[in-house]
Parts: sequence; structure tokens; C-alpha cells
Amino acid sequence: MSIELNGTTGITTPDLTSTDDITANSSAVLTSASLPTALNATGSAPIYAARAWVNFNGTGDVAIRAAGNVSSITDVDTGTYEVNFTTAIPDENYAATVTTGLSELGGINALFTLLPSTNSFRVYTYAVAGGGAGAYRDTADISAVVHR
Amino acid sequence: MNKRVIYPTDDGGVAIIVPAPCGLTIEEIAVKDVPAGKPYKIVDVADIPTDRTFRSAWEYA
Repeated sequence: MSIELNGTTGITTPDLTSTDDITANSSAVLTSASLPTALNATGSAPIYAARAWVNFNGTGDVAIRAAGNVSSITDVDTGTYEVNFTTAIPDENYAATVTTGLSELGGINALFTLLPSTNSFRVYTYAVAGGGAGAYRDTADISAVVHR
Repeated sequence: MNKRVIYPTDDGGVAIIVPAPCGLTIEEIAVKDVPAGKPYKIVDVADIPTDRTFRSAWEYA
């Protein structure tokens, strides 16, 4: 048997006649059985990986600290941001989890999302202080994760 | 990336797209993330005010 590596045409294996000729080190192969162990997960519950995530500063010079499958953040207005996906999510029925730090102006930050689409969703940050009327507030530490 | 994309919002304000390090150019992000039919401009980040006290009053120009 011979195996030829060629950068132009890939791998050719002219003498392989059945899958019996192929062996691999099982400890190095990722399978459905070994994946949970590789992720330090126990039990039989299924694992659903995040499809997109972002950590950004919504104050001053609004900026993205780090992200995965997010092409940009749109600063729409005070306390109003849109998360845009690099690659679209399969449908609009995903779960978007959003967190933030405490409001710089005190009070409680209310977070909610609207306008979910396969390409983006909108995040609002709203502060209510002392039981009075609330208002949209910019927030420095906003994180969002999408599961589907 | 020290660039931003701006476009007018439906209520007369301005939206600012902040690009992520996703492998796309600012031009590709603008084409993808600006709503269809909206005009847009690519500007330097230094052109965007950092004092957001009157953010709702910002206009596209």
C-alpha cells in the first residue's frame, strides 16, 4: 500500500480496497461518544453549542471586545444596540441570553430583546432607579449568547 | 478596525455599525449589515462623538 500526499490533488490511496485497510488511533478521533468527555460533560443530556456570542462596551466609543459569529454591533440609540450575525442562524426561534453589569447611573438594568431575525436581533438596556420612571441607558459591559 | 459605518434611521437619527474582527472588510460588513435601501457612509472612528449625552439627537449628515 502507498499513500501519496500532493498539495494540488490531495491524498491518493491507490492500494486501499476496503475500510478495513484504514485504522486510526481512537483516542485522537472525535466521535459522538467522546465529544461529551472532551467537553467535560457528564450524563446523557444533549449538548447544544452556542451559535454566536459577543462582549461589547455600549458606552463612549462603542466597541466590541470579542465575538464569535458576529460581524458587527449597530449602535442604534441610547441603550439600543443590534447584534448582527456573520453567518445567519437557521431560523428565528433561537434563545438569546443577554447580561450586563450594573448601571453606571445606579438602579436596575432591565434587558430585553426584540426584532429577532436570522441575521440579527436587538438588545435594549433600561435603568430604573429608586422606583421612579426608567430610561434607556448605555451600559459598559454587555454580553450576548445565542443558542439554537 | 478604526472605521465605522453610519446610516440614517427611520426616525431621523443615525445608526452606527461597529465592526467585529470577523474576517470581513468594512465594505463587506456595510453591504451585509446596513438595512436594504439605506444610504450609508464609512467614516473614521474619530469622527464619532464619544459624549453620548444627547445620543438621540445625533443626525446623519
